[in-house]
Amino acid sequence: MDLETDIQATTKDGTNTQGVYIYRPANASKPHGERPSKRRKVQTDRKDQVIDSTPFVPLLNGDENETSVQLRYNAYQQLWSEQQAKIQEILDDVDSDVLDNVSSFVRSTSPQTYDGCIPTALVTVGSNVSSLGRLLAKLNNQLTTAEQGGVVVLESGDAPNLKTTLKNIIRAAIANTEGNDGYQNFLTDREGPRLLGYDLDLLGDYVKRKGLKKLVVAFRDSEAFDPNILTDLLSLLSSWLDRIPFSLLFGISTSVELFEGRLPRSSVALLRGKYFEIHGASNCVDRIYERLQAEPTGRFWIGRGITGVLFEKSNDFFQTPEAFSRTVKYAYMMHFFANPVSVLLSDEASKVQREPLCEAIRNLPSFRRFCEQLLDDDSAKQVRQLLEDNEFLFQQSLDCLRNGQQRMRNIFQAVKMIHTCLKNLNTSKSPTISALSIRALSGELLDSTFVDDVLKMLKTQDSSKLTDLFEITPQSLTDTAEFQKLLKDFEALTQVHQGKEPLRSEYDSLNSTVATTVVQQRVRLSKGKTKMSQQNIDYTKIIDRFHALLEGYFVETLVKPQDLPLHEAFLLDMRNPLKEVFSPRPRFAIERALASPFDYLISTSEKTDSRISAQQPATAVLYQLYLESGALVNVHDLWQAFYAVFESEQGDACDERMVMALFYRAVSELKVLGMLKTSRKKVDHAAKTAWVGL
Amino acid sequence: MQPDSGDERPVSTPKRQRTVDFSDAVNGHANGDLPAGASPSKRTKTTPKKPSAVKESGLRTPTHKSKATALFSTHTKTTAPATPSRVRNADRSAKKKSARLLLEQDDDDVWDGADRLAEEILEDENDTTAAEDTNGVVDTIEPDTEDASKAATTPKRRAGRPKGAKNKRSPTPEGELPAHERYFFQNRAGPPKTSNNNLNKVTLLTHEDYFEKTAQYADPCSQEKAFLLDLHHRSFSQWNFEFHQGYNICLYGYGSKRRLMQDFADWMYHKHGPSAPPSIVIVNGHTPNISIRSIFATIVTAVLGADIPSKLGAQPIEVLELLQSVLNSRSSQGPITVLINSIDAPPLRRAANQALLARLAATPKIHLLATADTPNYLLMWDISLRDQFNFVFHDCTTFAPFDTEFDVVEEVHSLLGRKGRRVGGKEGVEFVLKSLPENARNLYQLLLTEIISMFDDGHNSDDEMEGGAGRDGDKDDVGIEFRMLYQKATEEFIASSEMMFRTLLKEFHDHQMITSKMDTSGMEILGIPLSREEMEGVLEDLVLS
Repeated sequence: MDLETDIQATTKDGTNTQGVYIYRPANASKPHGERPSKRRKVQTDRKDQVIDSTPFVPLLNGDENETSVQLRYNAYQQLWSEQQAKIQEILDDVDSDVLDNVSSFVRSTSPQTYDGCIPTALVTVGSNVSSLGRLLAKLNNQLTTAEQGGVVVLESGDAPNLKTTLKNIIRAAIANTEGNDGYQNFLTDREGPRLLGYDLDLLGDYVKRKGLKKLVVAFRDSEAFDPNILTDLLSLLSSWLDRIPFSLLFGISTSVELFEGRLPRSSVALLRGKYFEIHGASNCVDRIYERLQAEPTGRFWIGRGITGVLFEKSNDFFQTPEAFSRTVKYAYMMHFFANPVSVLLSDEASKVQREPLCEAIRNLPSFRRFCEQLLDDDSAKQVRQLLEDNEFLFQQSLDCLRNGQQRMRNIFQAVKMIHTCLKNLNTSKSPTISALSIRALSGELLDSTFVDDVLKMLKTQDSSKLTDLFEITPQSLTDTAEFQKLLKDFEALTQVHQGKEPLRSEYDSLNSTVATTVVQQRVRLSKGKTKMSQQNIDYTKIIDRFHALLEGYFVETLVKPQDLPLHEAFLLDMRNPLKEVFSPRPRFAIERALASPFDYLISTSEKTDSRISAQQPATAVLYQLYLESGALVNVHDLWQAFYAVFESEQGDACDERMVMALFYRAVSELKVLGMLKTSRKKVDHAAKTAWVGL
Repeated sequence: MQPDSGDERPVSTPKRQRTVDFSDAVNGHANGDLPAGASPSKRTKTTPKKPSAVKESGLRTPTHKSKATALFSTHTKTTAPATPSRVRNADRSAKKKSARLLLEQDDDDVWDGADRLAEEILEDENDTTAAEDTNGVVDTIEPDTEDASKAATTPKRRAGRPKGAKNKRSPTPEGELPAHERYFFQNRAGPPKTSNNNLNKVTLLTHEDYFEKTAQYADPCSQEKAFLLDLHHRSFSQWNFEFHQGYNICLYGYGSKRRLMQDFADWMYHKHGPSAPPSIVIVNGHTPNISIRSIFATIVTAVLGADIPSKLGAQPIEVLELLQSVLNSRSSQGPITVLINSIDAPPLRRAANQALLARLAATPKIHLLATADTPNYLLMWDISLRDQFNFVFHDCTTFAPFDTEFDVVEEVHSLLGRKGRRVGGKEGVEFVLKSLPENARNLYQLLLTEIISMFDDGHNSDDEMEGGAGRDGDKDDVGIEFRMLYQKATEEFIASSEMMFRTLLKEFHDHQMITSKMDTSGMEILGIPLSREEMEGVLEDLVLS
């Protein structure tokens, strides 16, 4: 059919004017001419051997060899699939209790238990729009595997009118288990008169044949449904309730009261059920972030800028956990696709080709700093070797990398500890782990009040709480000999101490008394130490030691990640491509292209003048004239101004009709871009509809 | 400072100027305003000293002064003075224009910059002719210098902002304003402050003219555009990787991206090699009448090849579900790349269509690469659609003209409210009428009479019509109610039944000779897509024939 026609419809410039067609290469034997495609041809030739296995391209000017590319790709695959599994785990876990509640509700209720009303589950989702989809999919899985029934998901787009809605319900219900062909067969292969697609008899038959006990009809975006259709549908479904075991499920983004208010009383009276609540997405996002970044086995981290972008996005507007993890995934992709040094993260990094990679490492800013530091430490020989010996450099980089990764892990262990401490101690204003991570990743956590708070609070802990504190202390600290000694002392002390009361340090408020004296008509508070037992004095010493230990630990651990040598390999901190890719600013891009076209049209000649000139594309010229106009534009005068631009530059050679053709093109483009529209206020006027920068 | 007049006439200091003025008085002919071309500020200073016409209009207020400077501030012409003959021509045309401007000036219009300029030009003419009459000797030098200054002024007037020329308040605020301030500045209350110029005297382009001219056009930026395109080509492998990882791609930015899409399809094809060609479906969203169902059906064809089921289903959603089940059942099926040009084009813009496309995009094994041309396309998608689309966005500004995306001439004419030209105008309508039966001609005549009489009733007092003899400024609003026309038609024995009446109207509809729309109360209003003069012309011919 259209396969034949599409070749004829191809116009001379190789484009096709048909609405929709299957691509056929214009000329399969040779790539179509012109420079860019030739250049690509060279690349593809070289790539052809690699391409079968990976979608990655050789970096470093194309000098990277096949193995490196492959290793890079494998490293990405492996790393991300691990992370993906973690995310999935959280997503499965996060709404599981709601799912359990809903599914037990669906199983346990029936019209009989509800006096002939339709059992209805009202699920408020709030901002967490994707969670309902997950929940329904899981519910459907449960029901279909148990062969008890199924879930029919309706969106507002599926319900333009009653007939179509019914047809969609029936088809979805049957196709859910039987597949599309099964549905077609079901329609045709039945005895008796052929029923229309929206006849609920069909569904009744199906339910009887399969012996279904539950058929859940879920309205995903219940607010968007037309209330009239909903009313009709509800009354119809309730009248079929004796033959088809319907249960309803409404996804509600606003509130149950509003939902009820939209329906007439008679419809509401047909429903009876329960109300479930799914919690907001931000909690889930925080958990995902924590799992991705703060795992003790982490190998690659996203930096402060990207974390900022991620949380900016989920704070500024609703963002589903899926969208969040996709953004993270894109960051991982970016790193491995475009950064040749990332190959060091591969498990088999030793296989990598040394030559271009070592050159790349030598050009890293962090490597340079590393060398400068070595020079300051009088290790010029080592620096020389790093610069000359590829193999040595390579091994050194691997060491650096491992070292750096360990430092990163430690940072996040410390962050986690601070987080837990703050959560336990001060519930009112405990920061999220992401907020702490942002500070840690920019190296500001050490100087922040959070660390001070933790240290201050540590001093006031009694012995029972201190035990808890020891438990959350990161391993890198507990492994030290000093800590072990402290622990031993502490245990010895608690063994000796038999009293009911836990041991308290002298900093504890219980161990100080407040005396009130009135001096010259002013109340003066004076703190005095109560007399302490010897044990408590010993305990205070332990606390002091631990305090010093922890302080030293924080100072040592919470370094600025950007100062670690070779951090380019295991830390990605480029804010920009990610932000542009997920929160584009198309209007800004178009306005910029038109207002200063030479930002895009990078030219070698001397025409990068900011003034309006005929050298610029016609639409850009017109747009700049348009910007100067008021809300109403006289098209004649606009044309005159446009013409004058060309006339003043081209003089006699200026062809008025040609300029007019350009003017036409420019005006039509502005109209299609939505910047000009017809105005009836005056003859030959157009209304301006877009203001730059608003 | 104009190089042409400046060297001859050292007027840059006020002192010198006074001497010039003095010489004016002595010579007795007014070349006192000659330094006008030299610099705008000079001009405003010297003009009050001129004799005759300008004086009566009084002194310039500060607003006028700033206006005058604004008028000349963007002058760009710095070339040497043109040859006398050409200059004289320009001069003459400037005079003609000034005369027209003065004639067309409305009574209630306030005297302002442009008129002043016109008066001055005219006055110059008077003076020079007077000088030529009386003094033959001056003649040799006079026109030259005079013209030189004029040559500088006339194009200047155009190169400036003629649309602001009639404004007392310039639409361009002075200095840099923040965006919101600029908005309020340009949206001040009050009547529109634009000139009454219109395009009646300008011959508009036809489709043929347009295509002829654009074919000849040599783009000064072609090299840069090619470079830009090449830059985009380099990210093809990146896009491929993004597809591979399950993302869909949306390209935005100024310029047509069709070529880029085509190149990407070629690239994909060559990457996979002819032995295992990739399945690529290309959609042109800007095609009028494109349906979502046809898009889905084509994708099904691309997957199934010859063995598509004979009945796909009439609803797009059915086709989509068929597609999804086919893709699910065929595990070996490679990915289908769907390239959608202009996903934000009017035919696809509806929310229902976008929701369907989002479902398509969410299907595994479907890779969607869409382009969007308008600046605000993101508003089409709410959070759940965005989630389904799973787009990554790339700025692909190409600066390529939208040649196939829309009809340029048509867009411009519809912006100007001249849609009727497309039908073939008066000639086209008359041609069709000739081939229609007597009854139909009578009906059309009746319709024309009614509509023209409505013009006369309702719009005589309309001040908007003053410029172009009541041209088609709001012809779309004029129409006759369907019932009323039917009644009149039966009275005139044109149509005996409504059925017959409708049949006649259908013929007109088919040839786009009438327009029909619902007004706010739900009544059908019939109109004619012609300008009033054209209607009168058609009526005249109908009556005469």
